[in-house]
Amino acid sequence: MASSWDWISPNGAAKMIEEGTEPDPRFTFANERTFLAWSRTALALVVAGLGIVQLLPPFPGVPLGRHLLGVPLIVLGAVLAAVAYIEWIRNQRALRHGDPLPRSILPWLLATMITVMAVISAVVLLLSAIR
Amino acid sequence: MPLPRADFDDLEQRDPGLARERTSLAWGRTAISFAALGGTVLKASVVPGLVIMLIAPAIWWIAQLRKAGGERLWLMTVSIVAVAGLALVVAFTSHGASHALRP
Repeated sequence: MASSWDWISPNGAAKMIEEGTEPDPRFTFANERTFLAWSRTALALVVAGLGIVQLLPPFPGVPLGRHLLGVPLIVLGAVLAAVAYIEWIRNQRALRHGDPLPRSILPWLLATMITVMAVISAVVLLLSAIR
Repeated sequence: MPLPRADFDDLEQRDPGLARERTSLAWGRTAISFAALGGTVLKASVVPGLVIMLIAPAIWWIAQLRKAGGERLWLMTVSIVAVAGLALVVAFTSHGASHALRP
C-alpha cells in the first residue's frame, strides 16, 4: 500500500501510480503536459525573482527591498514545482482508477501569492517614494 | 483489408490529437526555459549560470527516455527545486553589480 510520502522518491512515485488500469494515453499525455506547463511557470517565477534581486536598482530608504520582493518569488517557484508533481501523481492515480479528477490547488496558490506580492510591491514602492 | 496509403500516412490517425507530439514539444519548451534561466543567472554569476544552462540539454535527454513518466517528472521536479536553491544562493551572495535597469 502506497503511503502519502512515497512521492518523495522516484520509486515511491512509480509505486503510487502502478495500481489500477492503464488509462487512455491521450489523458496521460495531457496530464504530463499540464505538469510541464506548471514547471515552466515555476521557472518563470525563479527568473522573475532573480531578475528583481539582480537587475533592479536598490529602493532608496528600503534596505533589502529587492530581496523582500525577489526571494519569495524564487521560493514560490520551488514550491510550485513540488506541488505540480504531487498533483500529477494524484491526477494519474485518479485516471488509473476511473475516479473524478481531484481539484487543483495550484491556481489558488499562484493567484494568492501574486496578490500578496503585488501588495508587498506597492508597500515597498510607497515607502521608497516617501523616504 | 489494408488501409489506403494516404490514410496510413496520416499522422493524426496514428496519434489521435497529436498528443505525443504536443507533449514532446512541451518538453522542448521546458528545456528552452532552463536555458533562458541559465542565461539570466549567467549575467549575475558565471558558474551557477553554466550549471543551469547544462540542465537544458539534460532535460532534453530525459524527455527522450522511454521510462515511466514518474521518474522523468520526478527528475524535472528535483531539477527545478535545485535551480531555485541555486538562485537563492546567487541572490544572497552576488551583489547584483550590473544594475542593468538603472536609469
